[in-house]
Amino acid sequence: MKREIPMVSDELFRPAPFNESEAELTGYARYSYWRSTFRTFLKSPVSIALLALIFVLTLFAFAYPVLSKTDPNAVALDTSRWNIKPGSEGGIFGTDGLGRDIWARTWYGTRTSLLLGFVIALFDVGIGMIAGALWGYVKRIDRIMTELYNVLNNIPQTVFLVLLAYIMRPGFWTIVVALCSTGWISIARFVRNKVMSIRDAEYNIASRCLATPLPRIIQKNVLPYLVSILIMEAALTIPYSIGAEVFLGFIGLGLPVEAVSLGNLVNQGKNTFMLYPYQLTWPTVVLAAITISFYIVGNRFADASDPRNHV
Amino acid sequence: MSGALLLSAEDLVVQFSLRGRKLTALRGASLELFEGETLAVVGESGSGKSVLAKTFLGMLDKNGTITAGSIQYRGKDLARLSRERDWLEIRGKKIAMIFQDPMTALNPLKTIGEQIREVIELHRGMDRRQSKTETLKTLEAVGIQDPERRYRQYPHEFSGGMRQRVVIASAVACKPEILICDEPTTALDVTVQAQILDLIKALKAEYAMSVLFITHDLGVVANVADRVAVMYAGQVVEQGTVDEIFTDPRAPYTWALLASLPQLGVKGEDLFAIKGTPPSLFKEIKGDAFAPRNPLALEVDFVAEPPIFDVSPTHWAKTWLLDPRAPAIRPPDSVLRLREKLLAERKLS
Amino acid sequence: MLSYILKRLGQSLITVAIVIITVFLLLRLMPKSGYFTREDYVNMDESARTAYLRSLGVMDDPVTQFVRFAGGVARGNWGRSISVYPKSPVMTIIKEKAPYSLWFGLAALVLSMGLGLTMGVLMARHKDGVFDTFGTIYVTIVRAIPSLIWLFLIQQWVTGLLGWPMVFYEDRPVSWILPTISLALTGIAWYAIWLRRFMVDEENKDYVKFATAKGIPRTRIMRKHVLRNALVPLIQYFPQQVLLTIAGSLLIESIYSIPGMGGLLVNAIRQQDNPLVQALVLLYAVLGIVGVFLGDLLMAAVDPRIKLAGAQGGQE
Repeated sequence: MKREIPMVSDELFRPAPFNESEAELTGYARYSYWRSTFRTFLKSPVSIALLALIFVLTLFAFAYPVLSKTDPNAVALDTSRWNIKPGSEGGIFGTDGLGRDIWARTWYGTRTSLLLGFVIALFDVGIGMIAGALWGYVKRIDRIMTELYNVLNNIPQTVFLVLLAYIMRPGFWTIVVALCSTGWISIARFVRNKVMSIRDAEYNIASRCLATPLPRIIQKNVLPYLVSILIMEAALTIPYSIGAEVFLGFIGLGLPVEAVSLGNLVNQGKNTFMLYPYQLTWPTVVLAAITISFYIVGNRFADASDPRNHV
Repeated sequence: MSGALLLSAEDLVVQFSLRGRKLTALRGASLELFEGETLAVVGESGSGKSVLAKTFLGMLDKNGTITAGSIQYRGKDLARLSRERDWLEIRGKKIAMIFQDPMTALNPLKTIGEQIREVIELHRGMDRRQSKTETLKTLEAVGIQDPERRYRQYPHEFSGGMRQRVVIASAVACKPEILICDEPTTALDVTVQAQILDLIKALKAEYAMSVLFITHDLGVVANVADRVAVMYAGQVVEQGTVDEIFTDPRAPYTWALLASLPQLGVKGEDLFAIKGTPPSLFKEIKGDAFAPRNPLALEVDFVAEPPIFDVSPTHWAKTWLLDPRAPAIRPPDSVLRLREKLLAERKLS
Repeated sequence: MLSYILKRLGQSLITVAIVIITVFLLLRLMPKSGYFTREDYVNMDESARTAYLRSLGVMDDPVTQFVRFAGGVARGNWGRSISVYPKSPVMTIIKEKAPYSLWFGLAALVLSMGLGLTMGVLMARHKDGVFDTFGTIYVTIVRAIPSLIWLFLIQQWVTGLLGWPMVFYEDRPVSWILPTISLALTGIAWYAIWLRRFMVDEENKDYVKFATAKGIPRTRIMRKHVLRNALVPLIQYFPQQVLLTIAGSLLIESIYSIPGMGGLLVNAIRQQDNPLVQALVLLYAVLGIVGVFLGDLLMAAVDPRIKLAGAQGGQE
């Protein structure tokens, strides 16, 4: 143990003036929830890369239809234009059984599928959040909502989807309604659990005791949790909705056959896979890139927004 | 109390990487634990007492490292141990630790009997039946009635105080040499506190253990400790016998700590409180860490860190006030009043 | 205990009733023309059509129809299918097809649990290690990419590579392997990721820190404390999963031509085979709810802290 005395001049052994304000300097690192969340998220190069990929793909999917002159629905009357492999003649992704350009179809399809996913995410999360917040806050409706949850959980998803698709004719909004009508309740339940745990959390009771105005409590204590749930759910809804669209297409209840969507492309490409594998593989590659990116980014964001990981 | 030196930490420096920055939780902390004694480690939150205790068991959080210093125990430097295998020889067997919160220290899905028995089976090489018998004996030793029935019960069937007894039982089951208690009574009712303190004292005698008792409560210190180490901002600033620390404290922080005891308040006057808050351990600290909050500080306190000065063979303090060049400074009135009171009590007994 | 069971029974009955009524009504919203094939519709005249519809029992008002249905079920008569092997009793159809779905479903479930749980443990034990990374990649692919795609590709490639049959043949056991494995893939991912998550959560709890301080080796803590405790929240889903294997996987049974229950529901809806749809929905709803109930019982049996009388409603 250090017992050597460092060299200090004798005259320093005078009493020092006491400065009370100096005593108060705490300087413990300022903690900002959002800054820490994004820092944790961006720490991984994988997250950054996939986020960038999402931007690029989304941008391209929406920009291509505007900038390109190729018509994804243009059927070639000349049969020699049918089923050409990718290359200088066939275009980047080749052509399908009716001579349509698969590269164009892929990007138009991506746009449609992404749009579908965003709309579903919007409604699911929007309705789910509001319902969930009310469910968590207003104790009286808890029983009814729980019963509703049980009922919706026990109607086989397929039945609901198929029935609605049948009653409403296949189409964009049919799928939206079908998926949202059962999807919102899971999000609502999740939000309800969070709201309940937050509402009764001691730090919120403490805030209320200190007469913190309600808007401020909501803004600082409640909203950060909910917004991060929002973002995470929205990100994870995209792969889910694309998957649902593919499945519905498989059982013949997806978007109309003429519509250009990733689901339709996959189902069509599946049928010709034996002879012309590229008609399935290339749209699938783009589809996989999108779903995997959204899935990973969504999950990583969920991890990053958990304050326990902000180290 | 005048046993051999058992455990000694020398100039330990521990750093944590937190949100991209480095927090120095221990800045050269030194401590000595002798055989057969109870050493109390006092300090406010953030002083580093728990971190220090954790280094003795190799249980620092994943983002913490010992960057300097050593921990001497039975000829080994515990600060250098890194393999789990090495620590398994020490944890539970030689050095045991009980934590503050009995509510979460036990596995809710296992019977308490099983949780104690598995430790005995592991460390003392007994079979199932033998270890169960030993467990029942230990349960009795910690004052749990009807041990046969209690053995089969789950943690949630016990009250807070009883749970802490179970925790203590599982820690002492293997008769360790050193028992570290990290604020074991803080989460308990006052009446239960006294019982637990008595229990620890009794077990210490029965199992011939040395106890390292971490607390922020000076009342508990007076009750259980033989010697005291006072910590502030990651360092031990004073160490001595209970008598020496309470009647003849030398470090300004110890004065401030003692002066804060509500019992020393004079009716009608404001209670004493140390001005300001502890310094940020993210930044490097120049000089004496307590200087900015110390009205009695010297200029040198802001320039250089005070070295250790011995007051007696058993008592040292880290303060420039003990340097021969320092002017004679009177401790605060309340501290002097405490000394008088204690000396008077001693004359009476 | 008895009062708790009765209470749950009552609640479940209400839920089942609401489910079946909802579906019942939704079915009645379908266009009446859907009850006919195109030719029949065109060829029959108005009165013939009405007579036919009446024979099906769909001309009465919904309430009467429902009472008739409920009465029938109570007497064990689940109705006759309109579409499948014309007019076969629903029960016969189910009895014929269920075994296929059950065999494949249960075999896949065993595989899912065995491989999935093992994966989960290894991923949690060697967190952020190589195995964890590969496991995560596997789970990501299975969950992010629509299952139709990788199921289809597996069928194409594996059968091509190993020379196995492309579809299911009852008399050729080698054709049973791929559908089972394919069916298990999602389950493996689910078990792996959830067990890993629960184990990681458990590892951070205080009692694990205390156990470490007591000198218990990490491997033993993982096995006897963390794993055991992490399995508990998973147990509640087990009965449901077992019971609902009867529903069969639409995708697997479709691409491997397995004559199970999978495609039954969807086809029944398309052909507006009301009795069959109702019967199936009733069956699945009852099994689902019984599964949840058994799951809760199982949880109470395993977690000593749960007292059934004050149990939480709704599934987690």
